Amino acid sequence: MKNRLVLPAPSLQGEAKEVSKYLIINKMIELKNIEKYYATKGIKHYVLRHVTTNIKQGEFVSIMGPSGAGKSTLLNILGMLEEPTYGSYEFMGEDVTTLNERKRIELYRNHIGFVFQAYHLIDEMTVYENIEAPLLYKKIGGSERKSRIADLLDRFNIVAKKDLFPNQLSGGQQQLVGIARALAAQPTIILADEPTGNLQSAQAEEIMALFQKLNREEGITIIQVTHSEKNAQYGNRILHIADGVVKDDIAIA
Amino acid sequence: MFKLNLKIALRNLWRNRIITSINVGGLAIALAAFILVVMYFTYETSFDKTNPNYNNIYVVGRIYPDFKTNYTSPPFAKAIKQNFPEVENAGITKRGFFEFTMKNGKNTLFAKNFMQADYNAAKILDLKPTGGLEKPAGEVDRLSYLSEESMKVLYPNKTDNKPEMVGMGSSNSGITSKINGSIINNLHSNITFDGISIGNEIGQGENYGMNNYTTYIQVKPGTDVANLEQKITKLYRNELLKGETDQKTIEEIKSISTFLDPLSNQHLKPKAGNDAPYKILIALSVLGILILVIACINFTNLSIAQATKRAKEVGIKKVMGAYRFQLTTQFLAEIFIQCLFATVLALIVAELVLPYFNNLFQINLSVWHIDNDLIWQLPLILCLITLIAGIYPAIVLSGFKPALVLKGNFSTSKQSYWLRNSLLVFQFSIAVIFIIGLFIINSQLKYMRSEDLGFTANQVVYIKNQTLFNNPVKFGSLNFESVRDKILKIPGIKSATVATDVPDGAENGTNGYTFEGVQSSLDFVDVDFDYFETLDIKLKQGRFFSQSFSTDTANSAVINESAVAKYGMKNPVGKTIKGCNIDYKIVGVIKDFKAQGFESAVQPTIYTIKNPCGNYKTQIMLKIEENKMADALATLKAQWPQINPKDGQDFRYEFLDELYGKLFKKQEQLQSVFFAAALLTIFIAILGLFAFAKYITNGRIKEIAVRKILGASDIQIFKLINRSFLVMVLLANVISWPVAYILTKKWLETFAYRIDLPVLPFMSSALITILLTVITVSIQAKKAVKANPVDALKYE
Repeated sequence: MKNRLVLPAPSLQGEAKEVSKYLIINKMIELKNIEKYYATKGIKHYVLRHVTTNIKQGEFVSIMGPSGAGKSTLLNILGMLEEPTYGSYEFMGEDVTTLNERKRIELYRNHIGFVFQAYHLIDEMTVYENIEAPLLYKKIGGSERKSRIADLLDRFNIVAKKDLFPNQLSGGQQQLVGIARALAAQPTIILADEPTGNLQSAQAEEIMALFQKLNREEGITIIQVTHSEKNAQYGNRILHIADGVVKDDIAIA
Repeated sequence: MFKLNLKIALRNLWRNRIITSINVGGLAIALAAFILVVMYFTYETSFDKTNPNYNNIYVVGRIYPDFKTNYTSPPFAKAIKQNFPEVENAGITKRGFFEFTMKNGKNTLFAKNFMQADYNAAKILDLKPTGGLEKPAGEVDRLSYLSEESMKVLYPNKTDNKPEMVGMGSSNSGITSKINGSIINNLHSNITFDGISIGNEIGQGENYGMNNYTTYIQVKPGTDVANLEQKITKLYRNELLKGETDQKTIEEIKSISTFLDPLSNQHLKPKAGNDAPYKILIALSVLGILILVIACINFTNLSIAQATKRAKEVGIKKVMGAYRFQLTTQFLAEIFIQCLFATVLALIVAELVLPYFNNLFQINLSVWHIDNDLIWQLPLILCLITLIAGIYPAIVLSGFKPALVLKGNFSTSKQSYWLRNSLLVFQFSIAVIFIIGLFIINSQLKYMRSEDLGFTANQVVYIKNQTLFNNPVKFGSLNFESVRDKILKIPGIKSATVATDVPDGAENGTNGYTFEGVQSSLDFVDVDFDYFETLDIKLKQGRFFSQSFSTDTANSAVINESAVAKYGMKNPVGKTIKGCNIDYKIVGVIKDFKAQGFESAVQPTIYTIKNPCGNYKTQIMLKIEENKMADALATLKAQWPQINPKDGQDFRYEFLDELYGKLFKKQEQLQSVFFAAALLTIFIAILGLFAFAKYITNGRIKEIAVRKILGASDIQIFKLINRSFLVMVLLANVISWPVAYILTKKWLETFAYRIDLPVLPFMSSALITILLTVITVSIQAKKAVKANPVDALKYE
């Protein structure tokens, strides 16, 4: 089934922040005609073309496609790490293509959690401190911080590891910490770039199951980039990208 | 947040502890040097600053068409005060031109500088006798004070401040004088003295011709000094013109002007004097700053080397919600901790080095005292170096875009390549300049020590003496003959003479002499028989003075080569040169000798025994056999009251070679400073290079492993790693050579007698820096080369 979701929907400007995270927002992310190209010697080299899609709150979307198709670029644009060359991007009803750094960081603090293929934990910090860092930036009080971290450590079964440094953990454990860190600030959406790319299959399954659980039980919107068809099946929607164009948008039952 | 950052910073530093300690240690040493320079700078620029009217006090000096002088006459100060209401006060002082001998029983004080000042000057200069400054009672009454140190010499057990009667001259002179008390002799002031006598008015009856005094004025705050200067010039000319009719003199007077020189200028750059101390101070400050900058560069370079790793951290923190300024402060805090630590270390190092420093510069600085300006200077310095060292990570690193740095294959090496390498080149350029400078200063000093002076100062003893030996007798002076006879009876003493000047660098008097109708100014030295023999001066033509020629004490003259050249004389011996209304017959020409050291050329000089226009002959010189030196000196000391009864029992002497050696002192100071600076910069630069090479090789471990697998030999890899560093060091040499060439040439030009600029220092500096670089880099490279390629390639 090919259906490009280009439905117009009522705007929710201004109210976005007050909306409970369990309430499904129809247009959490709205991309219109997103293009991204690099001009080298006057020749435009397109990475993304005419990407138009909506992602609703509570969806678990997997972006798939061959290498160089533009998956990571799309995810970076969704995470506001890169700006599109053309097109509009509204995040929770707010146009974010021209957001200044300060506002963007506000969004990171309150709504977006990142998970990376290479985990990207801070090597000089212990597990505990890595999870604590976003809370510090968000200026969460000491006791609240402690209880949240304790809760996360407990849920992910890494209490015993809390004083270890990242290089003392296995890849799967590091990624668990990475996810715990992303969840600590209680984001509405998690952006994951090949979260299991560096992991063995057993660990990968564990991580994907965790994502599914987070999505189903806590209503966290998840967008992941993946190569693996199997991983994509954990979500409820797959965007197939090839040569910068969305070829397929498949809902999974 | 801050606590966590602090914790991470400390962990980070601990993980790289070798490099951290290299960095902090290097900075601490540089900072210690800088602290010393700052202290010295503060000291040198704050002379007399304790004076409450510091900014309103000026020295009045005179400008003639060909010279400037601070010496003025007594009536001038009075005239200034009477005429200009903006001048609050005006006073004069007079230096002691004679050495006084004072006695209290067995205690003897030689007061080299017994100053005179009028009450107004004492008030302006804030002189502080114990118990406060008092106004002398009558017109002629004087209040005399001894500096506290001098008082200690004469009255070691004195506790009260009662007046004392001291003996003047030798104990049998019978002259006594009243000392009213002690006075603070502030060494941190332009006005220092062993003793001072204060009168309501000094120099009474002296006219405008008696320019032996220094005039100080204190103006009201807000006075237009330039305007006042002009008014004083006009006043001075009017005063001189009074009753003057001779047209030529009137014209001359109109060419004289006056200047006002602030008290703050007096120590370093007086208008009438040279500003060499100021230049040296500035040069020293530049040295200090450069050393500090070089140490700070180590931080920056290390930050650059670590950038790839830190960039990732920046990216992560940004997507976790950190503002850029939070990262900036984090980086600054990290650098700050290290700088703070370095500062504490630096203070300790400075304290340890201070005694040597004080000794070298003949001052008495101390780190630990309450009103030390370091209290506010140090935090300022700390913030400054934190900024210099932290500016790169704070600005550049914190600005990285997360999307770029988190992609995985991010590398900062290309972006920072130029900055990093130019900083390294800069460090080495400075080090090379210092090394070359050091070599050249060394060569010049070696030249000065080994070069033929034209006279021999060895085994010549200079005796301080107050008896005048002018012949013919003048002002109650004595004939030297009887003294010489008595001296020569002592075994070991080969010759004895007396003269107006000894060759210790002091300037001689000058006078006009006419030779075959040409008048010119010559230096004159009035001597006695055996002067040239005692100093072993070489004869070129004719003969020395000799007692076998009775005319020698009347009108014989010896001149030096420079004098011959000045007049363009041909066969001067036997010809007549006229001066002081005497027709001198030239009996001999001597070879030039460097009486004034190496900085000024040998002056054209005339030596005569009789010179009515000359100075007092008081400087006795003896040539003594080396192995009988101690005995001869002991005998002299014992017999001195009989040999030279007018001078008294105080036999004081100095060795002429030591006296002459003092001329090199300034250059030796410079040598020490340069030695320290060169050593420090090269040390700090090498430290930086060491740490830097470590990072670079760590970053290339994979590349090295791949190359090894492809069949590269160890030597080839060593070459590979060394190559880029060698290029930089060579570049640093090439850049700094012209700079060093110009600077050292300028320095050498301050010497009349100097070496040709040698090539060797330039070559050696290149060799030294290259060698040090290869060793430093190879030590680091060795680890990478020795490592098993498999280990390096296993991890991704």
